[in-house]
Amino acid sequence: MLLDARGVTKLFGGFRAVAGADLAVADGEIVGLIGPNGAGKSTFFRCLAGDLVPSAGRVVFDGDDLTRASPEAHARAGIGRTFQVPATFADMTVLENVMVGAFLHHPGAREARARAREVLDLTGLAPLAGQRAGALGTPGRKRLEIARALATAPRLLLLDECLAGLTPVELRDAIDLVRKIHRLGVTLVIVEHVMEVIVTLAQRVLVFNEGHVIATGAPREVVADPAVIEAYLGRGYRERTDPAP
Amino acid sequence: MSSDHWRRAGAALAVAALLAYPLAASSPYYLDIGVTVLLAAISASAWNILGGFAGQVSVGHGMFFGVGAYLPLLVYTLWGWPPMAGIPLGMLLAVGLAALIGAPTLRLTGHYFSMATIAVAELIRILVGTWGLVGAAIGLQGPATARGWWDLTFRDETPYYYIFLGVLAGVLALTHALQGRRLGYYMRAVKAGEAAARSLGVASRRTKLAALALSASLTALAGSLYVLKTGFVDPDSGFGILVSVQMVIVAALGGAGTLYGPLVGALILIPAQSWANSWLGGGGSGLTFVLYGGIIVLVARFEPGGLFELRRRMLRWRPERSRAA
Ligand SMILES: Nc1ncnc2c1ncn2[C@@H]1O[C@H](COP(=O)(O)OP(=O)(O)O)[C@@H](O)[C@H]1O
Ligand SMILES: [Mg+2]
Repeated sequence: MLLDARGVTKLFGGFRAVAGADLAVADGEIVGLIGPNGAGKSTFFRCLAGDLVPSAGRVVFDGDDLTRASPEAHARAGIGRTFQVPATFADMTVLENVMVGAFLHHPGAREARARAREVLDLTGLAPLAGQRAGALGTPGRKRLEIARALATAPRLLLLDECLAGLTPVELRDAIDLVRKIHRLGVTLVIVEHVMEVIVTLAQRVLVFNEGHVIATGAPREVVADPAVIEAYLGRGYRERTDPAP
Repeated sequence: MSSDHWRRAGAALAVAALLAYPLAASSPYYLDIGVTVLLAAISASAWNILGGFAGQVSVGHGMFFGVGAYLPLLVYTLWGWPPMAGIPLGMLLAVGLAALIGAPTLRLTGHYFSMATIAVAELIRILVGTWGLVGAAIGLQGPATARGWWDLTFRDETPYYYIFLGVLAGVLALTHALQGRRLGYYMRAVKAGEAAARSLGVASRRTKLAALALSASLTALAGSLYVLKTGFVDPDSGFGILVSVQMVIVAALGGAGTLYGPLVGALILIPAQSWANSWLGGGGSGLTFVLYGGIIVLVARFEPGGLFELRRRMLRWRPERSRAA
């Protein structure tokens, strides 16, 4: 297993945002992590990325225990991630944002710049290279976050709702980008609360509710699971059938 | 001419003006303003490395300035060494102090870091003021007349002007080199978003410590230059809060986090301060506080990026220029 997280628990005060979550990801997989808002997906993610130290449980990546390691140690180990709310460096250009990622394995500025340009070409951001990141719209920032993480040459990329809030055209482009990244040999864990997207992308889906995994399997099977319909789709259907305010 | 040519011509003109200023300065008063501008530009540029580029707003950099100011006079007082010999010692001690206080204070973010730096600087100022070895409240005195050129004690301020100008050029060259290197990018990334920076492998603690150490050593150098010129230091002129605040204001006025912002800020603030003092006959620090307070309010309210940001935004109103790659 490339990533093996067992019994991950995160308490905020007395509140269990994540309660004994397990996730094992094999090299080369695309795993979807879905669940209603507030299920604890982002918190679980932050435990996997070293942003939060779990209250209990273990996170092992490629045989190394990273449970208590710093976020930068996670990056060095080969875990890249994006933020649910894009956290691009607003006052730096698009190219400079990506260079910060590229510096991880290319300490010289010239090499880092060359590597960053390759990543910009790959992610379709090359025409925006000289723009301030703060001037980009949300889709551009989400793409830049992916590019920046990609520049660190991760083996595992954690994407937190990087497809949410995109128009159908932007969504198609973003899905193409995710597929392209996967073809480069990057393993992906994708968090979404929009079910439809993940079904087309992921080989395996885990459904998260109240801080832990309630179902796992191929997208089609999971969709048919009564527990999932109850916890997740039930709510989704209800939202969808509610008249727009 | 293209805008690049204009820029180069402007830079050449600015350098020529800085080099020629002592020849044009009609009186020691104007020469002194020039020297003071350069010193303020050096110390604010040193502050800028930590406060501007790495975004850690220290309001206690007087502690490093003071260390740099005291050491030359201390080695002279204790052992009769040329004051200049205390410069590397001051810089070294400032780095040591930075390492000592950096570990706890750099864990704090935003205003908490600023307040912690004020507290540490004030504590040091008070301790120095009670410590007999370093002259307590009276302070330390340098050689009254030069024993040799190596005492760097000159009647006329012209030699100081050129020494300071050379040091300023060095500090700016160093800052420019830093901007192009990994550490420079990492510092800006930490400023822009620490969590995001760390997710990309930036060791934020180490980056901030490196910025602090570099910034502290150059601030100590500024303190040493100050004391070479004045030949005298006491706890207030070395470690006082005004020393710390001036660096922040000068850099913020011109543009914190830009290469030339501190120099621009010094070119505006120091003459303004000097003229305001002579017109109102004050000379006391009360007026200086009022001036600094007013600038803080104006910069924070209207243009947090300083004058450089203002210029950049005004340029953006122009018709779209050809896109830089
Ligand atoms: N830093 C925090 N402090 C306290 N509660 C938090 C914190 N982060 C998240 N939570 C709570 O944990 C729960 C899970 O949040 P989150 O992981 O963001 O869910 P999801 O990403 O699935 O929408 C929510 O109830 C949220 O309010
Ligand atoms: Mg979330």
